[in-house]
Amino acid sequence: MPDTTTGVVVIGGGSTGAGALRDLSLRGIDAVLLEKGDLASGTTGRSHGLLHSGGRYCVNDPAAAIECVEEGRILRRIAKTTIEDTGGYFVSVSEEDLAWEPRFVEGCAKAGITCERISVEEARRREPALSQHVRTVFWIPEDGHLDPFYLVMGNVESARRRGAQVRTYTEVTGFLKTDNRVTGVLTRDAITGEETSIGCQAVINATGAWAGFVARLLDVEVKVVPVKGVMVVLSHRVAHATINRCHKPGDGDIIVPALSVAILGTTSARVPHPEVLPIEWDEVRQMIEEGALMADGVSTARAMRAYAGVRPLYDLGAEAEGREMSRNFAVIDHEERDGIAGFASIVGGKVTTYRLMAERVTDLVAQRLGVRTPSTTADVPLNDHEEEMDQLRHRPAQLGVPKPHGDELGLQPLICECELVRPQDVAPWFKDPAVRTLEDIRRRTRSGMGPCQSAICSYRLAGRLVTERGLDGATATRAMADFLETRWRGVRHVFWGSQLRQAQVTAGLHLELFNLDRQLMFQSQAPSDALLPPPLPGEGRGGGEEAHAPQVASKR
Amino acid sequence: MITEELGTFSDTVEEEAPVEACTKCTACNTVCPVARSTEIFRGPKFLGPESERYRSQPEAAVTAGLDLCSGCKLCEVTCPSQVTIQEYIRRAQNKGAEEKGRTLRDWVLGHTRLLSRFGSMTAPLANLGNRNALVRWAMERVLGIHHKRPLPRYQWLTFERWFKRRPRPAKARRTVAYFYGCWVNYNERRLGEHVVAILERNGIEVIVPKQQCCGIPAVVNANMDLARKYGGENVRRLNGLPANVDIIASSTSCGLMLKHDYAHLLDIPGAEQVGVRVYDICEYLWMLHEAGELDLDFQPVTTRVLYHAPCHLKSHGIGYPAMRLLRLIPGVQLEEVDEGCCGISGTFGVKVEKYDLSMKIGSRLFEAVKAAGRDSVLADCETCRMQVEHGTGARSAHPIDILARAYGHR
Repeated sequence: MPDTTTGVVVIGGGSTGAGALRDLSLRGIDAVLLEKGDLASGTTGRSHGLLHSGGRYCVNDPAAAIECVEEGRILRRIAKTTIEDTGGYFVSVSEEDLAWEPRFVEGCAKAGITCERISVEEARRREPALSQHVRTVFWIPEDGHLDPFYLVMGNVESARRRGAQVRTYTEVTGFLKTDNRVTGVLTRDAITGEETSIGCQAVINATGAWAGFVARLLDVEVKVVPVKGVMVVLSHRVAHATINRCHKPGDGDIIVPALSVAILGTTSARVPHPEVLPIEWDEVRQMIEEGALMADGVSTARAMRAYAGVRPLYDLGAEAEGREMSRNFAVIDHEERDGIAGFASIVGGKVTTYRLMAERVTDLVAQRLGVRTPSTTADVPLNDHEEEMDQLRHRPAQLGVPKPHGDELGLQPLICECELVRPQDVAPWFKDPAVRTLEDIRRRTRSGMGPCQSAICSYRLAGRLVTERGLDGATATRAMADFLETRWRGVRHVFWGSQLRQAQVTAGLHLELFNLDRQLMFQSQAPSDALLPPPLPGEGRGGGEEAHAPQVASKR
Repeated sequence: MITEELGTFSDTVEEEAPVEACTKCTACNTVCPVARSTEIFRGPKFLGPESERYRSQPEAAVTAGLDLCSGCKLCEVTCPSQVTIQEYIRRAQNKGAEEKGRTLRDWVLGHTRLLSRFGSMTAPLANLGNRNALVRWAMERVLGIHHKRPLPRYQWLTFERWFKRRPRPAKARRTVAYFYGCWVNYNERRLGEHVVAILERNGIEVIVPKQQCCGIPAVVNANMDLARKYGGENVRRLNGLPANVDIIASSTSCGLMLKHDYAHLLDIPGAEQVGVRVYDICEYLWMLHEAGELDLDFQPVTTRVLYHAPCHLKSHGIGYPAMRLLRLIPGVQLEEVDEGCCGISGTFGVKVEKYDLSMKIGSRLFEAVKAAGRDSVLADCETCRMQVEHGTGARSAHPIDILARAYGHR
């Protein structure tokens, strides 16, 4: 007998998994989401956040482009608060780019993407950051920025309100099977090591680049090609709208103004494992140099950090490599393909089309479960629950989405001055059992994502681990050190200029003033035992039956 | 060379914009006199570089608390990364004022020259009015000028007219142009007379070019266009001076505008050339001394005085030349009162909602002055002197005053 039972287990807490969880809950199907790390800690949270109009794919991958067009419009309806409607420019800076233009225009027309040629003078008037190299400009009003963290949290909260459960830091170690039917999963808590089993009628494998590893537990093969992309984060938005090179998609040809920062992306290199994502100086240099071709201010901005994500490209057996492969997705019905009932994988795709991917795989599972309710995710907005979203909404996004914010901010103290995070923005998350590290707080609030990369907010957050989560000082200190460490991993790739000086200040503050390394040295706790235990039952939110989102329930 | 094959680092990365240099070290917040005195001010770090990231969006403006910045510039003096904190705050203030409109009070205080001219023309009456409780009550109601704040006394004979009437001395070794500023012109002509006398005693010809308000009242009252207009007039006239003429200012804030802010904050064309020729009066006299040209034939001045270094003097980056000069004079017992900003910051402490804050900022200085019990407090800045007198009841003077006495002027 499994320890608990549910209807459907969704494995993977990225946008697709969160989307599937929401889709299931909207159809009234009981569901549990299992994620081995934190929500949006894999591919989704490491995307560059471009809400694709489809323009980027319209020549090489028209099917993906058409999906982007449709999904982009749906997301603007249902997930308005996660999107910055910046619009975008496609710019040509070389002869080759100019030669690409006719195909681009034709591709846009075929995919139904609005595309308007504007004069360079007009473009510069609207976007002074466009560089002197820019020769022609297309305006693509439907490009934008999609906040991947906010998107996943929004989906998860929406599902939780409907009774779905979320367990982070919970790895699937095996499956329960009866004959050729999956009847449950075996899990292990990454912190306590505690093993449990969950009985279910079906499992959705939404683990993206990790889908092959999960499928292997059932001795079936799912061929996903992990393709690394490196991105560089600049300290401010640089441009008002997204900027793409108008050419065959290549390295370093996108600039996305994302909330308070700009993200330069990206490279494309096949890697042996989705968690082996080295970042080389040449890649960082390439992002900056290519970006500087399109926009002024790229090479003079402060590079805050670099990070790498992994695309989960689905191998359809074609010859294609990396970018040549389709960004389309596929639903794998393992009952039909491998004779294993109650198991389906969703692979390929991209964040912009997450909802459609979730809908398709949920369609299959619901059909097998005999549930006839159709998907309503295209119509029901994420923020159908106002108060809940209010709590999520107060983020510097609202500064990026231009709005005078200062007076609203008032004179309350801030947790993170870089990203304008207030105490009440972080407080509810300390009560959420899905939140186990300060990195998790960062993903939900943006605390620590500004130029100082957690130098200051880290100790304020550590203090709140004590006051609001009831941890002892030693554990909170350990959590703070881990937080600084994960931030450092991204910062070290851009060690020059201000960010190098910043790192010195951060090191001086924590290692010398706070004597952090010594403090850790004399802790009895082993360094690996760094994750935080979940809040005690009854004081947390989410998870349990009545416990989900209690602060909302109390408002009602 | 290997760099030719691989390219150098600087092929990729250019020098960063100054705003990027902030490392959040918070040194600025620790010296900010306003942040030290009130909970409701977020401090220069937040209002300067941190908010500036968000101001790159044309529509977004982080404005709360911006008006609480008094403009002392200590943050910039302290910043180890040379972030031009004040410029960000001033520009944001100005942008906010352009969008929301300026109050009558801020308009009036931005036009201090106009105000002073009027005050000077009607001097006895204006001074009487400024000390009349009913008038002050009305001023507080209508203009938002705090009734307790003593306003400067105006004098009918301006420095400008005094200078024109006086006989011209014989040709000298050097010539300086004196930027006397509104204060000397309308309120403290005697200081200007002393400056002229001291320079002439040292064989320097003083000329007085036609001049406009330096513009700092306009800057701090969020009226940069006006400041730019004033500054432009001054730059044009001062650039018309012969190349060998240095420019002297006896007000630290006027001097700072000419030296630095015209070229940087206000971006006035030609201001760099003016800036390099500008010297604070004490800075100039000390340079004369170093060149062996200063007349050291001082009469002893028996006095025990305190010296308060104005915040804007610290921005000059010239140390405290007044203290060095006064130590040359026999009999002068001089001690620095190192208690930070006096709190008035020009027109800041005049405003009804900021008067209390201004007095609180200055309280440490006031305590120290009262405890020291000296003859007078010296300060190079006129509003510092007003504030110290108001806060302590002590006498206050420009350091030039002592020097003039040492040269036998009364």
